[in-house]
Amino acid sequence: MSAERLWQGGGQAGGHGTAGPADRWAAIMAGTVLGVAGLRRGDWVGLGLAAMGGGLLFAGAAGVPVVQGVRELGGARVASLLPSPSEEPTTVQAVVTIRADRERLFRHWRNFGNLPKLMDHLETVEVLDRTRSCWKARGPGGMQVVWHSEIDKEQENELISWHTEDDADLPHRGQVQFRDAPGGRGTEVRLTIAYHPPGGQGGRMVARLFGASPGVQAREALRRLKQVMEAGEVPTIDGQPHGTRRGTMKLMAGDMAP
Amino acid sequence: MRALCWNGVNDLRVERVDDPRILAPHDVIIKVRLSSVCGSDLHLIDGYVPTMKPGDILGHEFLGEVVEKGPEVLKLNRGDRVITISIIGCGKCWYCENEQYSLCDNSNPHPHFEEAAYGHCTAGIFGYSHAFGGYAGSHAEYIRVPFADNNCFRVPDGVSDDQAVFVSDAVPTGYMAADMGGIRPGDVVAVWGCGGVGQMAMKSAYLMGAERVIGIDRYPDRLRAAQMKAGAEPLDYTRVDVYDALLAMTGGRGPDVCIDAVGMEADGFDTGVEYWYDRAKQAVGLESDRPAVLRQMIQCCRKGGTLSIVGVYGGWLDKFPMGAAMNKALTFRMGQQHGQRYAARLFAHIEKGELDPSYLLTHKWSLDDAPRGYRMFKEKQDNCMRVVFAPQE
Repeated sequence: MSAERLWQGGGQAGGHGTAGPADRWAAIMAGTVLGVAGLRRGDWVGLGLAAMGGGLLFAGAAGVPVVQGVRELGGARVASLLPSPSEEPTTVQAVVTIRADRERLFRHWRNFGNLPKLMDHLETVEVLDRTRSCWKARGPGGMQVVWHSEIDKEQENELISWHTEDDADLPHRGQVQFRDAPGGRGTEVRLTIAYHPPGGQGGRMVARLFGASPGVQAREALRRLKQVMEAGEVPTIDGQPHGTRRGTMKLMAGDMAP
Repeated sequence: MRALCWNGVNDLRVERVDDPRILAPHDVIIKVRLSSVCGSDLHLIDGYVPTMKPGDILGHEFLGEVVEKGPEVLKLNRGDRVITISIIGCGKCWYCENEQYSLCDNSNPHPHFEEAAYGHCTAGIFGYSHAFGGYAGSHAEYIRVPFADNNCFRVPDGVSDDQAVFVSDAVPTGYMAADMGGIRPGDVVAVWGCGGVGQMAMKSAYLMGAERVIGIDRYPDRLRAAQMKAGAEPLDYTRVDVYDALLAMTGGRGPDVCIDAVGMEADGFDTGVEYWYDRAKQAVGLESDRPAVLRQMIQCCRKGGTLSIVGVYGGWLDKFPMGAAMNKALTFRMGQQHGQRYAARLFAHIEKGELDPSYLLTHKWSLDDAPRGYRMFKEKQDNCMRVVFAPQE
């Protein structure tokens, strides 16, 4: 699949009867969105939305063909409101403010050879010429995945945009933007990655390659960039002493995490 | 080496563990000479702070000697006698540059817990659960300190070990509580909790120009210490109604500044029903923190006064009297201490004889006795203010 099609979308129709993975994913996502929106409203309409969301979520989890039903029932207008993941690429974005000037951050990122230090799944990125680079990553089960990327847009100290070349198994696009933060707070760095969500074969692999979620990976990459640029190291406790680890991590009464 | 490890709720054991080593270029290794218990450890030991793992080493208030340093440590040398601020700042991020070290962006290697629970992550803390970075604590023969140039402070020759160890945490926490109060000459300051931090807040309030300081507690020895050592007027909340007493003492105005040096495990205070309501909700996880002190401070504080909160809270609390707080136009200041901001000033106060925190050290014990030491500290037996362990003895 070419990178161009990432923006245009590819086609993959679901069968009748049972929900395909894409439809299930859509139901789960839509259910979650409706549920959260409903609960946030906090009135009767909200409660209705939340209930509907809950139903969709469980239907998605159980594999009931909801999306298709809704598409047939409500016609194109309703269907177009629901995400259809196998056809549209998903975009994830992360942003962080770093206490460093744009020039320094731009230079660091522009050398793609630095990226494996920011992204866990990358083994190496070899710069081939002014715009092309070869990326090697560890895939599921230690399998090596290799692809080529090309920089398609570059604005000095402001923006770098790149995409995978036509032969890539896991087509995706990336863009990093640098903008001055107000009040001398440094630079706002925004990283955007577009890829296919779970559904298409490529999408599933990208998701696994990037870890649990590409959104988390993007956030972690920027966090590392910040740590390296500001603190001069990536803080760690790996290798420090501890007593006998009996059992697993316990979450106590009064747990503050949701 | 030997280290005191948390093994579960109220289960502490001294275990043999590996020696720490340099893991990052700004690290030092410190040979621990003194390491104090702290009231905030009790929240961990009691299981009110999530993300503790069995085997975690406790302790965050300590003094020792630099024995090894990473390649990028510039200010410290082997043999330096130092205290370490218990909350770790990288020294380079916007917050550290603005002297808000406990809000450091970079020092917590496990930011996800706090980001999910609090919306943002704050600084790492030694021996204080994995939500706060999971750093191994100081109740051990050796400890690794990250970003050492920013977090370790050389102890001046005129300051003894027993005085200096509390500059890690108890003294700057109390000092910051008074500082956040914005105390002006003539102010009356009321401090809830006469433990080590509370008493340091009382001393600091006087140093900042308070006219009168009132200490509230229920343990006679602590009230006595607050009176004798910190010059506070003691108030036993089991004997008097705190609101009536404070108003009577302030001509009906209420204290100008109210300091919370108690936090989320507040005792019954004077309202039995309220206490058991909070206790019950906390037990079933509907409320993580008991806010008895906060409610009382809001009620007692003078209109337009300031509440300064350094007692530790972890999660949610309930029945917060927002109406009173809003309509009385109260100012709320709070936070974990930015000790790096105060260390030099505190040593200067100690050298001039204006402040002597060493009286907090009521018991100096071997590390092997640490589980018993915590029990004594928790149950406030034997007039215990602070048990300090000496791991090299």
